[in-house]
Amino acid sequence: MRSRLLATMFVMLASAATADAQNAPKKPPAIINPPPTAQDYADLAKLPDWSGVWNPKITDQDAQARTNPPPWNEKVAKEAEKMWAEEKAGRPKLIFYGCFPEAHPSWMLVTHNAMEILFTPGRVTMLGESDGNRLRRIYTDGRPHPDTPDPTFHGHSIGHWEGDTLVVDTVDILPQAPLAISEAVGVPNDGDMRVTERIYLAEKDILHVELEITAPKIFTKPWKTTRIFFRQRARKFDIVEGVCQQGEYREAKDENGHHIFVPIEKTEWGNLVAPK
Amino acid sequence: MTKRLKTMGALAVAGVLAAGIASVWAHHSATMFDHATTMTINGEVVELRWVNPHVSLSVNGVVKERAEDGPAVWVMEMTSPGNLVRAGGWRRDAVTPGEKVEVVFSPLRDSASKGGALKKLTVVATGEVFTANIREQERPGLE
Repeated sequence: MRSRLLATMFVMLASAATADAQNAPKKPPAIINPPPTAQDYADLAKLPDWSGVWNPKITDQDAQARTNPPPWNEKVAKEAEKMWAEEKAGRPKLIFYGCFPEAHPSWMLVTHNAMEILFTPGRVTMLGESDGNRLRRIYTDGRPHPDTPDPTFHGHSIGHWEGDTLVVDTVDILPQAPLAISEAVGVPNDGDMRVTERIYLAEKDILHVELEITAPKIFTKPWKTTRIFFRQRARKFDIVEGVCQQGEYREAKDENGHHIFVPIEKTEWGNLVAPK
Repeated sequence: MTKRLKTMGALAVAGVLAAGIASVWAHHSATMFDHATTMTINGEVVELRWVNPHVSLSVNGVVKERAEDGPAVWVMEMTSPGNLVRAGGWRRDAVTPGEKVEVVFSPLRDSASKGGALKKLTVVATGEVFTANIREQERPGLE
């Protein structure tokens, strides 16, 4: 019995050693973020003009919440109906956590805040106004998705241009990220969600984000929807800084006369309480 | 100046506390307001909190539709500073504490709480008007 065990151990060690030699650490991958060249910057000038402040078309979000609901599976459809009822009764469910990002794709689906889109070599970056953590990096340098998933709020996005349309594929989104169709109706995607997008100017100052969302844990089939953003033609506005947590604090002075923030005190129900 | 503002701040908190205002912004939904109803308050600005995610304006005054309550501090919620600038022409210094204003708003459904969603603000002294409807940005002919 003991010798058999030893023999087994020897075989295991031997095969492990062979496997190690076969799976010797590969050379580190080629640098994936080379310094941009002058040509890289010149190539950006060929891209369409997506500069400016993009505002979401909220009336369209409102309409689509009713006319184009997602293909919820049976279980989630029941939950969604309950949420609609609660919202109608004035008791909306809190589906977004404080100042956490809406995440992808819910940011595109339900935001009430503006965003801006920046082009840099190898990348398209979306920055949302409501908080600095509303940030999407879309890699256009030809890289693939990583072999080892590193789930994040906005996922790993890779994209390429087809003419003036940016085609984006996103995977590795945190399972906790909600799939929301309004501020009070949505469920966590629960994992394995994939989002593809076609983003383009439908008119000079209208941006369309065509989404196809595959969410096997909550949908019966992939869901297609287009979300609309518009910019002011006179371009007289800028995106402003947003720090969502600031709303939880008020301005005060400390004992040394320094400007500080102190939390607004609240009861467990969210009512303000008297300062100490 | 600082002392006056500090006192104002303390009064604001006390007034708001007395009114038992719910932390509206934490719910992230507009449905806790009764948008079918409109009320008007005439009074003085206690404080304009120009912060993300929601700007709020507290007014110490009498609500026309609740005149029997007498003067009280009401807290009006709005959208973000960025949206207010674009949709309603707001500025951080649109109003100052003590200024006389008239505010049209949709009240919280919870009638015990003195709060609402601001629809229109008029500065009495200058007649300047500010609105807070984010969907207003979508009207045609936008600059």
